[in-house]
Amino acid sequence: MHNVIVTGGSRGLGLGMVRVLSSAGYNVIAIARQESAELAAVIQDSGRGPVHFRAFDLCDTPGIPGFVKALRREFGSFYGLVNNAGLGTGGLLASMPDAQIERLVRLNTVAPVILTKYVVRSMMADGGGRIVNVSSIVSFTGFSGLSVYSATKSSLVGFTRSLAREVGKVDITVNAVAPGFVDTEMTESLHSEQRAKIMRRSALGRLVAVEDVANAVEFLLSDKAKNITGTVLTVDAGSTA
Amino acid sequence: MSVSVRSTILSQFEQVAREQNRKLAPLSDDLVLMDSGLDSLCFAIVVARLEDALGFDPFGATEDARFPVTLGDFIAFYEDAAK
Ligand SMILES: NC(=O)c1ccc[n+]([C@@H]2O[C@H](COP(=O)([O-])OP(=O)(O)OC[C@H]3O[C@@H](n4cnc5c(N)ncnc54)[C@H](OP(=O)(O)O)[C@@H]3O)[C@@H](O)[C@H]2O)c1
Repeated sequence: MHNVIVTGGSRGLGLGMVRVLSSAGYNVIAIARQESAELAAVIQDSGRGPVHFRAFDLCDTPGIPGFVKALRREFGSFYGLVNNAGLGTGGLLASMPDAQIERLVRLNTVAPVILTKYVVRSMMADGGGRIVNVSSIVSFTGFSGLSVYSATKSSLVGFTRSLAREVGKVDITVNAVAPGFVDTEMTESLHSEQRAKIMRRSALGRLVAVEDVANAVEFLLSDKAKNITGTVLTVDAGSTA
Repeated sequence: MSVSVRSTILSQFEQVAREQNRKLAPLSDDLVLMDSGLDSLCFAIVVARLEDALGFDPFGATEDARFPVTLGDFIAFYEDAAK
């Protein structure tokens, strides 16, 4: 059974991915700082594939190599990695505390890059794998109050494209998914007026659901996507169409 | 111990060259790695496999690890780290 790591698998989009990937028969390893009640329920009653939770704070980047090593020892080789954990801190750049900027970049950019480094090494040794990075449509569209967040989400697109070139010869694919606005804890600060506006402006006249994003990730991990690498799959109900 | 480190390294060079369809130069201690027929991707695979086989990665451990020039240096690097 293929092992797939999902960071930020305890809530929101990550939890949805864990559910879908378990139903698809993967052995899913969900990473977050804390196990949520919802994830505990999924672990109890998983789909075709078992689900495991391992606690780790991804901001602890020096701890990542040891953490990956321990996972490898416990679970064996990695088939997939989904870099989904992220902070959505907003705020005007001019008034954003520097420490907050650094925290955002650390969790959203530095941590996935370092985590990928150690996981990809192991994939190289095993001769293949799949990496999916969770970006966002704000990296193409822009959104006032999200400049730092957007910078981190764009960084994952550049990372995806170049890494895809680097590791293609060892049969590792690297792709990104760019969700539009999805109702999760990250976006609960948006008020209903903004929500209605996003819905109205989307081509399909509705919002994207967690499952839509999770299905896109499942597709990119599946054998059907074996010849897709270095791309960004936008899942936004046509908001940017 | 050092014999097994050496032979593990040599067999990884051969295996990766085979998998990546590279023509491997005859392996001797004074072979310059850049002339070995393996490229940087192949070396990344070799180092990852050796970490699995030997349990350590001498390049990850040091702050400013320079990549060795010859095969002999490469082997010595691993043998020193194994001590
Ligand atoms: N929601 C949207 O509309 C939307 C749109 C586009 C892109 N995205 C992207 O989708 C991803 C998931 O977003 P979401 O809305 O599902 O977020 P969310 O509901 O806030 O969930 C974030 C997840 O990341 C984990 N996490 C946070 N900090 C962590 C840390 N330091 N170490 C390890 N895990 C950590 C959280 O668990 P713990 O707190 O327990 O650690 C949680 O599982 C993000 O990358 C986001 O940028 C979201």
